[in-house]
Amino acid sequence: MKFPGLVENEMLKIAKQRRFRVVVLILVALIGLIVYGSFRARDRFHVKDWHVEAQERTAWLQGRIRDSRTPPTALRWFRFELARLQYHLDRNLDPDAISGPLFARAFANHASYLLLPLLAIVFASDIVSAEFAQGTIKLLLTRPVGRAWVLGSKLAALLLAITLTVLLGGLVAYLFGGLAFGYRGWEAPVLTGFRASGQGVDPSAIRSVALWKDAVLAYGLAWFAALCVGAIALLTSVILRSTAAAMGTMVAALIAGSIVPRLAPSWEAQKFLFVTALPLPDYYSGSPPPIPGLTVGLAVAVLAAWAAAALLAAFWVFTRRDVLA
Amino acid sequence: MPAPAADVVLSAQNLTKRFGERVAVADVSFDVRAGEVFGFLGPNGAGKTTTIRMLVGLARPDRGTIRIRGLDLATHFEQALSHVGCIVESPDLYRYLTGRENLLHFARMLGDGAAGRIEELAALVALAQRLDDKVSTYSLGMRQRLGIAQALLGNPDVLILDEPANGLDPAGIREIRHLVRSLARERGMSVFVSSHLLSEIELMCDRVAIVHRGRTLAAAPVAELLARVSSDRLLVRALPAASAAEVIARFGAVEPAAADDRDEIAARVPPERVPDLLRALVAAGIDVHTIERPEASLEEIFLEITGSQTV
Repeated sequence: MKFPGLVENEMLKIAKQRRFRVVVLILVALIGLIVYGSFRARDRFHVKDWHVEAQERTAWLQGRIRDSRTPPTALRWFRFELARLQYHLDRNLDPDAISGPLFARAFANHASYLLLPLLAIVFASDIVSAEFAQGTIKLLLTRPVGRAWVLGSKLAALLLAITLTVLLGGLVAYLFGGLAFGYRGWEAPVLTGFRASGQGVDPSAIRSVALWKDAVLAYGLAWFAALCVGAIALLTSVILRSTAAAMGTMVAALIAGSIVPRLAPSWEAQKFLFVTALPLPDYYSGSPPPIPGLTVGLAVAVLAAWAAAALLAAFWVFTRRDVLA
Repeated sequence: MPAPAADVVLSAQNLTKRFGERVAVADVSFDVRAGEVFGFLGPNGAGKTTTIRMLVGLARPDRGTIRIRGLDLATHFEQALSHVGCIVESPDLYRYLTGRENLLHFARMLGDGAAGRIEELAALVALAQRLDDKVSTYSLGMRQRLGIAQALLGNPDVLILDEPANGLDPAGIREIRHLVRSLARERGMSVFVSSHLLSEIELMCDRVAIVHRGRTLAAAPVAELLARVSSDRLLVRALPAASAAEVIARFGAVEPAAADDRDEIAARVPPERVPDLLRALVAAGIDVHTIERPEASLEEIFLEITGSQTV
């Protein structure tokens, strides 16, 4: 069984090239910049003693919960807010301040539709085309290994590299965020499950979960979105055989994906575009979807379908095409 | 599967490849036997590289079959290629990896302890000292040698080298030539070498096939080929050219002078008459600057052979 060795080869090539170091650098520099920015912004508004305010709010909430006139929908909200305040007071944490864990959690949303896909593209767009550019494709495909296995090992290495990138992004966001805002607060309850329905928000699906569970889900979704982008970028790399062309195509698609929903919000079919489906964590945490009918489930299905079709096409082309360049 | 001739290691039958309208390779057939160095000679653009790309599975022939140790490349790709080591066009390796990392990379693609042969092969191609340096610091000759070490990793029965002398200095070419000859003689390896230089093939190969405009001629031993094309053509540079031409005309047919060089006289003079010709020129008081017998060009060889075949 040569496959593990083949994946090792591909990982070695990714790790030894400059681009891997560049990706790590981009992540560290970018997150550092965002953390620094948020840190400075927070300082400006940080004036009151939060202990007093939090205690006042706790007392007020307890009063409202005991009050029989409070409507049941509000009651749910008050109970959650009370639990949240209690959690922070118990641990001597400012309930209104951003924490390291909260920052890391928010990073998943913000990174999912541009940064992580972009980094996935950086890896994927040259994984096949670089072999053509270097001429090494002639050696790679004349060894006693079927072409499907060669591409399969590249795909496996690509998925590994993207996984590492997402993990690294989360880790750096937590480390830097924690440095600025404190490392505690993973257990804090957060609300999730907002779902737009008709005019307003459908409250029935809203529930409270621990922040770490919410973060794991958000990162899982961001990871899945990045993997799918990687698969699609792999196809462009196979077809175009030029890193610059593949990267350009994919970046153009990403940018178009961020423009189209704003320019043509009423065009319903755009929910079937993979770029529109990318902000999975947003759809999951319940930001109003820019396109009606685009739920997190549908977005996952759209991305999965695009990725599967891209991989099929990539394998079909790669195993059949003559290598003459 | 029909049983191949016992000692044929690499066999191409009726290979045809077209790109759109252009036929790059037309009905090319040849057999490479065990332990021989087989030359594949043709001018650039004759279809050599396209043929080689088909031999190693990079391109699919439109027609024809390739068998390596009797295994059809189209149906037994992995088994067939496990007997082949190759360098196609140029020795392109991963420049950002060291020589050792490159060899390890390709050893992993072979499996079965190929990695254990790295030291031995590095010594064979005289790269042991530089094995842990990045390939980007290697000279072309070193990359060519590393490419050969890579090709030998799987202990192949057939080594396919595409223009191995390209870009090398004379010393580098000599090294490659010695290596190729010793691989064939001492390890019984078959080596398929393509080249556009007759002189190179002449020194390295046992048999040779000539390819021209996508077609090949039946393979023949090198000596036989050279005998068939030994030419009477002689180039003389002498002054005054007009009287020199008159003298030379007594010994053989003088070709019309080329427009760009009136001092050079080309004529067909049989080798045994050259000393007499020289004496006659000197006696006529003509200054002879150079006299040479140019190597027949591939084009001429091809015409010569096709001409004699059709007669």
